[in-house]
Amino acid sequence: MADIDDRSVEPEPYEEPAPELGRLHRDYVIPGVSPDEDNPYRWHTGEKRDHGGEDAIEVIDVVKQFGRTRILNGLNLGLPDNQISMVLGPSGTGKSVLIKHIVGLLYPDAGDILVHGESVPNMTDDELFEMRKKFGLLFQDGALFGSMNIYDNVAFPLRQHTDKSEEEIGEIVNRRLREVGLAEATEKMPNELSGGMRKRAGFARALVLDPAIVLFDEPDSGLDPVRTALLCELIREVHEENGGCYMVISHDLGTARRIADFIAVLWKGRIVESGPSAELFESDNEFVSQFLNAETVGPLAMD
Amino acid sequence: MVRAVADRAFLPAKSLFEQVGNMMILTGKTITAAIKPPYPYGGEFISQFLFALQLCWFPMMISTIAFGFGAPGLQAANFLSLFGALDRLGGFFILASVREFAPFVTAVVVAGVAGTAITADLGARKIREELDALQVLGVDPIKNLVVPRFLALMLITGLMDIYALLFGITGGIFAELAYGQPLGGFFATLFNNASVTDLWGSILKCTLFGAIIAVVCAYKGMNASGGAEGVGRAVNQAVVIAFLGVFAFNYVFTQTLLATHPEISVIK
Repeated sequence: MADIDDRSVEPEPYEEPAPELGRLHRDYVIPGVSPDEDNPYRWHTGEKRDHGGEDAIEVIDVVKQFGRTRILNGLNLGLPDNQISMVLGPSGTGKSVLIKHIVGLLYPDAGDILVHGESVPNMTDDELFEMRKKFGLLFQDGALFGSMNIYDNVAFPLRQHTDKSEEEIGEIVNRRLREVGLAEATEKMPNELSGGMRKRAGFARALVLDPAIVLFDEPDSGLDPVRTALLCELIREVHEENGGCYMVISHDLGTARRIADFIAVLWKGRIVESGPSAELFESDNEFVSQFLNAETVGPLAMD
Repeated sequence: MVRAVADRAFLPAKSLFEQVGNMMILTGKTITAAIKPPYPYGGEFISQFLFALQLCWFPMMISTIAFGFGAPGLQAANFLSLFGALDRLGGFFILASVREFAPFVTAVVVAGVAGTAITADLGARKIREELDALQVLGVDPIKNLVVPRFLALMLITGLMDIYALLFGITGGIFAELAYGQPLGGFFATLFNNASVTDLWGSILKCTLFGAIIAVVCAYKGMNASGGAEGVGRAVNQAVVIAFLGVFAFNYVFTQTLLATHPEISVIK
């Protein structure tokens, strides 16, 4: 991060770092931050611009550390209901860790996560399993069950959580598979599909219960530009049809421009800034502007 | 510097205690999930039981006959022949095979064959994020994946112990025959020393061995990380820890059984 000092960037007025951030007091490592760096959060205004709605998910002062490495460091974020939100950030900034906290697969060391006002870390196992029924999650590689064909994978949540007959289940599954262009692949096993097909099958499975919240962990990774565009279109269409809080995690700006109503930029385990996408693309924050315009000059360097 | 030295000295011990604690928690959660309704694991239990049976029956037969013939059979027979007491081999088989070797061989084979399969299966699912997907879909992986494997492994080790006893004693019979002895004396001392306590003790111990193997193997599988290499590492660790657990538990169980049933210490 020595490059930062060499650049002609006017930093924000220096604020005395909180004790846990000062290099003398910090006994943990933040990925991408030199231990000698006094204030790694000088561009993090944490400003949250008004999106004109209510938050479905609120992340409050969340800290998460693995060993001595602190991935989330006092993260605050609100994701609006009935909008497609995007959490953008360079690789290794804790985007996937954030998703796992939201669905209760990881617990924060400090802070809280509220889903529709209910605290996820304070839920019992049974409450957590019940709460997760309102979630759909598309994993990076689809996370399909290897022992089931595509039809059974998509039908699985319906068989687990509804009393629908096989005929009704078949109708829903086939409709979802048609939407994602996999109507002909129902009998195939996951290992017979390409990465993009697995992702689309995972998308169909995530939507099959009509969840109120859908989370996408890098839906565009490993896809060619055309398929990425088609997947974005599909996400947009399904959201228009079903509504709800959609959160997409990515570092692809094309995806952000296509589908995002709301953008939050994450770096070093904290939100730099968040707000409606049109406003954020015009942000005068050095970091946000550099990242969202993919510029080479700015606070973000190769290291 | 001080921290680095302290980390190097204490972190492995801390990690060990954490893992043992986590395995205890997994055991508690598994038992609770097994008892608490609903019971969606019937089909998976049967399939896991049949899978373990299919994997274990042949290695068990070869191992127990060979072990019974070799270790307590030929070795003890050689010793007993010095005293002209080869008929005592049957009695010795109650001590050696029923109480110790049959449960040991069963545990080793079940851990090495079925336990590793469980670790590899759950580890691969963990790596492919299937376990996370299950949880996000509101399905408890402990109830749906661990409980059926836990119950299946307990049942299979209990039953395999009887199988091991039969084939282990068959090995002893072969040893007796190899020394040209009639089998009357062998069976006389065998049944004279045999007790119901020995039998239920052996089966109960083996059933609990199955529980230990299942918990260790499921835990290591569900916590695998680092891709295919990580799954391999998890399988290796699972076998080592399962053996350690089984052998340590065997000491506690044997001491307790001998203390609470002193009559079985009498050699007739």
